[in-house]
Amino acid sequence: MDQTERRLQTCFTKVFPELTAQQISNASVDSVAKWDSMASITLLSLVGEEFGTELDMDDFEQFTSYQGILDYVRLKEAKA
Amino acid sequence: MPHFGFGASAMKLGEALDIANRVPEEGVAPKAISLVCGFTPLHLLTYLRAYGRLRFPESGISADVGLFGDLQGNLQRAAETSVGEIALVLEWSDLDPRLGIREGASWNNQTQLDILSEIEHGFNRLWQTLHVANRKSLIVVVPPTLPLPPLSHTPGLQASRFELRLTSLLSSFLQKISEEPGIRVLHSARLDELSAPGTRLDIKMALASGFPYTLSHADLLARLIIDLAYPVAPKKGLITDLDDTVWKGILGEVGVHGVKWDLAGHSRPHGVYQKMLAALADNGVLIGVASKNELELVTEAFQRADILLSAPAVFPIEASWGTKSSSIGRILQAWNIGPEAVVFVDDSLMELAEVQSLYPEMTCLRFPVNDAAGIWQLLHTLRDLFGKPRLGQEDRYRAASLKTANILRTSSESTSPDFVTRLEGTVIFDYSKALSDTRALELINKTNQFNLNGRRLTAGEWAAHLQRPDSFLATVSYEDKFGPLGKIAVVTGIHNNSTLEITSWVMSCRAFSRYIEHHTLDRLFEQFEVDELQFAFSATERNGPLQEFLTGISGALAAAPVRVTRHGFSEKGRVLPHTVIENGSNRAQITDLLHESLS
Repeated sequence: MDQTERRLQTCFTKVFPELTAQQISNASVDSVAKWDSMASITLLSLVGEEFGTELDMDDFEQFTSYQGILDYVRLKEAKA
Repeated sequence: MPHFGFGASAMKLGEALDIANRVPEEGVAPKAISLVCGFTPLHLLTYLRAYGRLRFPESGISADVGLFGDLQGNLQRAAETSVGEIALVLEWSDLDPRLGIREGASWNNQTQLDILSEIEHGFNRLWQTLHVANRKSLIVVVPPTLPLPPLSHTPGLQASRFELRLTSLLSSFLQKISEEPGIRVLHSARLDELSAPGTRLDIKMALASGFPYTLSHADLLARLIIDLAYPVAPKKGLITDLDDTVWKGILGEVGVHGVKWDLAGHSRPHGVYQKMLAALADNGVLIGVASKNELELVTEAFQRADILLSAPAVFPIEASWGTKSSSIGRILQAWNIGPEAVVFVDDSLMELAEVQSLYPEMTCLRFPVNDAAGIWQLLHTLRDLFGKPRLGQEDRYRAASLKTANILRTSSESTSPDFVTRLEGTVIFDYSKALSDTRALELINKTNQFNLNGRRLTAGEWAAHLQRPDSFLATVSYEDKFGPLGKIAVVTGIHNNSTLEITSWVMSCRAFSRYIEHHTLDRLFEQFEVDELQFAFSATERNGPLQEFLTGISGALAAAPVRVTRHGFSEKGRVLPHTVIENGSNRAQITDLLHESLS
C-alpha cells in the first residue's frame, strides 16, 4: 500500500469507521449499506481536503467505489 | 476551476469527523440538540457534533435533524419531541425556495411581492412554533447568513425596496423572538467579523447536494451555535489597576487633579474604559481596585465630579504598597469567589505576570497603553467575558449585598442566631416549576461553594427535569434590613412518597451565615410532608461550606445519598431566625407582603 492509498484509506475510515482496511479496499456503493449520497459528498469533500485537489461536479460520477476514487486521485496527482 | 466544498476552515473536516466519531464514556448520556434547518445539514451536522464533543468531552452531543425542504415542519416536530436544545438555522431559500438557486420559479416583480407576503406569513408561523417550543427548550436562532440572489432591478451597490423590506421583516421577527427568555439570536455582526459574507456560499455544493456552506463557514457556524447553546459561565468580577489604566498619569506624582481621562488631556481611552467598567457594574459585575497607591489619594480621586466610574460602583478598593497579588487575595476574600471567575486588568506586564503566577486560573489582560484600537478590542473582550444572556434583579443587588456580607463576615458576632434575628430577615419560598424563570438554572450552573455536588445542567436537561411530574423545585429569595439579596438559593429533585431525593442544592455565597439553609430544610419537610431528605451529595474541590453544613446535620458524610430525617434535623439544633413567606399566593401578593414587612 503506497502513501496515496494510505491517505485514501484514512479518508474512508473517517466516513466508515466500522470497516476494516480490507473491506475499505473492496468498498463500493453496492457493498456498503451506509454509503449513500451524503457519504459520497462527505468523501468528496474529505478527498479534496486531504489531497488539496480541486474537484469538479462531474467527478462525482467516479465516487462510487474505493477503487474508482483511488484511480481518480492517482490521475489528478499525475496531472499535477 | 472552483473547488468543491473545500475552504480554509479552522478545523479540518477530517478532524471534525474524528472528534465526532469518538465513543462517549460508558453510562454518560450525550447532550441532546435538534438541528432545525431547511437544507441538507451535512457538514454543519458533523462540525456541530465535533464542537459538541469538545464542549462535553465525556458525553458529546446527540444531534437529530429533520427533512430536507421542510423548515416549518422540522421546527414543529422539534418543538413536540425535542428533549434538549434546538438550533434553528434560517436561510432565505428555506423561508421561500424561490430565493434559492435550486428552484425554477421566476424572479419577476410579481413574484417578489408574493415572496414578501410568504416570508411575512412564514415568520408568523415560526414565531408561533418558537413560542411553544420555548416552554421546554432553549433555542438558538441563526438569522440568514447567505446573501440573497441578485433578483432586484437595482445595481448591486443600491439596496432595493424588496431587499430592504425583507431585512425589515427579518429584523422585526428577530426582535420579537429575542424577548422570549429562552431564545438566543446569533449576532450577525459577530458572524460578519469572523466569516466574510462573500466566502460563505458554496454554490456547487448547494446545487449538487443541497448543502449550501463552504467548510469554513460550516465550521464557524457550528462553533458559534455550540457556544450560544452551551455558554461557559460568565466571569463575575473585574479587578483593575488605576494609574495609566483607569486614568492617565501616576496619581502619586501628578496628584488628584493631574490624572486625566478626557479628550483635552489626550486620555479619552481611559474615560471609555471607565464607562465600560461603570456599565459592567450596572449589570452586576463586581468591580474592585488593586493599586500601588496611597488609599487617601485614591479615595479623593474617586470623589472628583467628572469621574465616570463612580465610587459606589467599586468595591473593594485595595490601595497599598504591597504586591498586587496580596491586594487581589484580599479582594477575592471580600467577594468570596474563586480566581477563575475574575479578570485582572493592568498596564504593567510585570504586575500581570506576578498575579498570573499566583493565580494561574485568573484571566489577566493588559491595558493597552497609547493604543486606542487596542482599548476598543479590550472592551469587546470584556463584553464577551462578562456577557450573560439575561439580566435579573439579583444582578442589581449583587455589589451592595456583597458589601453587607463582608461587614457581617468581619463582625465577631455576625453568625450568632441573636445577631441574625436582629437582621429582621424574610425568606421567601417559591415552589412553582416555571421554565421562564432562568435564575434557578443560572444559580445551579455558577455556584461552587454551597453546592451539593457540582452538577451542571444544560437548559434542555433542566426543562426535562422540571417536566417530570414527580420533580419539585424550591427557589429561595431573601431580604433584610440591609436590603434585598434576590433569589439566592435553589433546591430541586424528586418527590418520592415520604422522601425527597435532592439532586441539586445551591446557595449564593452572598447569603452565607444567615441560616437560610436551616430554613430551607425546615420548609422542605413541611411543604412536601416527608420524613426524610436524601441528598445526592458529592464532594468537589470547592464545596467545603456545603460539606460543613451537611456534616453538622447528618453526623458524617458517607457515600451518597446522605440522609437527614425530620427528627434528626430538629435534634441537631436547627436555627430559624427569619420570617417565612411561601408561595401558593401569587407573586404580587408576596411582593406586597415583603414590602409591608419591611416598611
